[in-house]
Amino acid sequence: MKQTLSRGRFVAGTAGAAALTFGTAPYVIAAPTKELVVGLNVPQTGPYSDQGADQLRAYNLAIEEVNAKGGILGMPVRATTGDTQSKPAVARDNAERMIDRDGAIMITGGSSTGVAVAVSALCQEKKTIFMATLTHGDETTNQNCHKHTFRRYNDAYMSAQSLARTMVNKYGTGKWFFITADYAWGHSNFDNITSVINPKGAKVVNNILTPFPGTTDFSSALSQAQAAKPDVLCVIQFGGDMVKCVNQAASFGLTKSAKILCPLVDEYMAKGAGANFDNVASTAPFYYKYHAEKYAGAKRFVEAFTKKYTFPPSNGAETAYADILIYKWAAEKAGTTDPAKIISILEGTKFQFTKEVEWYRPEDHQGVNSCLVVEGLPLGERTENGFGYARVLEVHPGESVVAPVSSLVCKMETA
Amino acid sequence: MELLIQALLNGLVRGLIYVAIAVGLTIVFGTLRLVNFAHGAFYAIGAYVGLVVAQHFGLVPAFVAAPIAVALFAIALDRLVLRYFYDKGPTLQILITFGIALVVEETIRLIFGGTTQQYPMPPGLAQAATTVGPITYPTYQLLFAVGVIVMLLLVWWFIRGTTYGLVVRAGVRDRIMVQLLGGNVQLASTIVFALGAAIAGLVGAAASPIYSLDPDMGFNFLVPSFVVVVVGGLGSFWGAVLGGLLIGELQAITTLVFPPAADVVIYVCMALILLLRPQGLLGESEVIRQS
Repeated sequence: MKQTLSRGRFVAGTAGAAALTFGTAPYVIAAPTKELVVGLNVPQTGPYSDQGADQLRAYNLAIEEVNAKGGILGMPVRATTGDTQSKPAVARDNAERMIDRDGAIMITGGSSTGVAVAVSALCQEKKTIFMATLTHGDETTNQNCHKHTFRRYNDAYMSAQSLARTMVNKYGTGKWFFITADYAWGHSNFDNITSVINPKGAKVVNNILTPFPGTTDFSSALSQAQAAKPDVLCVIQFGGDMVKCVNQAASFGLTKSAKILCPLVDEYMAKGAGANFDNVASTAPFYYKYHAEKYAGAKRFVEAFTKKYTFPPSNGAETAYADILIYKWAAEKAGTTDPAKIISILEGTKFQFTKEVEWYRPEDHQGVNSCLVVEGLPLGERTENGFGYARVLEVHPGESVVAPVSSLVCKMETA
Repeated sequence: MELLIQALLNGLVRGLIYVAIAVGLTIVFGTLRLVNFAHGAFYAIGAYVGLVVAQHFGLVPAFVAAPIAVALFAIALDRLVLRYFYDKGPTLQILITFGIALVVEETIRLIFGGTTQQYPMPPGLAQAATTVGPITYPTYQLLFAVGVIVMLLLVWWFIRGTTYGLVVRAGVRDRIMVQLLGGNVQLASTIVFALGAAIAGLVGAAASPIYSLDPDMGFNFLVPSFVVVVVGGLGSFWGAVLGGLLIGELQAITTLVFPPAADVVIYVCMALILLLRPQGLLGESEVIRQS
């Protein structure tokens, strides 16, 4: 037998294997009648799997609570779940199966704006409500807004405005250095932060764009930041990229010599950065320690979650939990699961569950609720195994930081 | 000028990681004819084993435990699975090792979670910087570079200066002839496989304080390391060294000049090498083997 093991085949094999991707089918149970199926579409593998797992915990808790009180419109709620892998195409396929095969009347989930935009488009086609959870990019409710999609989580505009307004008094005239993830979310944050600080006289000394996703090595950008000696180092990165960048910034001594800002943080990112997150300023839509003290609904949620899972919820979990309760409230107020009627309730009617009284704007379906500016506690002062990671510097009411309606490019369908 | 020197240092640190992974890939391919896509998994396992040990016992024990643990894992993997695929051709080898890499990645995610983590660093080292003239550079990165260079010299000595190394090199040339002459190619193969894995495991642990850890880390370094092997020349130790440093520096300088091209430039480099010198910079021309 002649066997060739040539360099050409090695190279071809290398290219072929690098292109391999794998999809997985969602977990499905045959659907009996007289129950409501909701599709939980979250990342269970891939870079945002921790956030996805925490959202799933919160969904399960909310569904248990809803079913214990008679379900929605008297019908028990059953979940069908899918793993988005944070890939838009996979997330879209999952949602399609949930709607067509399992009869899901509402899809919820997220953990990346790419995924949210893909699922949102599908749900518009299928006339199915989509409650987007952990998606921060403006386009979910602006450039790519849809009639059937509602997003309660703060968007990039709100976070950037909040962070910049809180920081501008102290650092407004200083030197700012930006390391920005090179895609829509990064650019939107950069534009919004600079639009607040520039009029105050802040100097933007540089903005280094890094490839997204998957930059592992920030040393080039950080070398330049080190040489520029900025007062503020603004790390516009999310998830693991943010953790890597902040950790590497520490090795260049920048966490000591400059104030580090990040547009958005959650409990898992703060834990990942450990001591390097000390004094880093950022924003979060929800922080269990702050909200549980202030609002009875949040207190009940945080206690029930902590009792069931032995650790407190992240801000992504809160938005997942609230989305189930908001859907139940809207469906029962409408007296039907007819999406058109539910949409008319969700557009502008005020409600309160885990935060202050809040609402969705009819113009773009963006949730109007507060944005917290937080600062990392020194590692030794953090509580609950690192989950209690921050002190709250300032709370910006949603209506004061949300993008003005006149600036929106969203063209909402009529149905 | 300072920025250029810093970029070159950044490229050196990154390039040395590519070199260490590529050396493992290339000696394993040279000896076992195995295209190993699970090699990046060794890097990740080393990093996570090191993390657990570092959290309890400190950095130095972590750097001892990581390569040993990974070598043992590699030997088990080789004896239980991979040896059945030595003669099966590269397509099947790529599929099986790619599958193993995915299983390892998701197992790490199951145990440690998907969040990016970092090593507990001794306070003296965490933010220490060394200043020479106008250049200030993190001390740990400099120690890392020196450590990897020393390790590579030891590996080179093992291959050139020991009897096992002789069997290994002879096995690369003609496996059957070495067996006929009484050389234990089987044992040498296992040792080479474990050695390649141990190098990846050690570098995985040692590089993690710089780049942090996440379950995808293996693939992040594996794909450029394959490019390094192709650029340097398949089966060539010094080819891997030259290719790794070249790719690392090329990436670092591109990042400085035009960041969006930093990921593309290495593939452009690979395409140019394949067109102009298909056997790689230091590789030998293709041999078709009869068996």
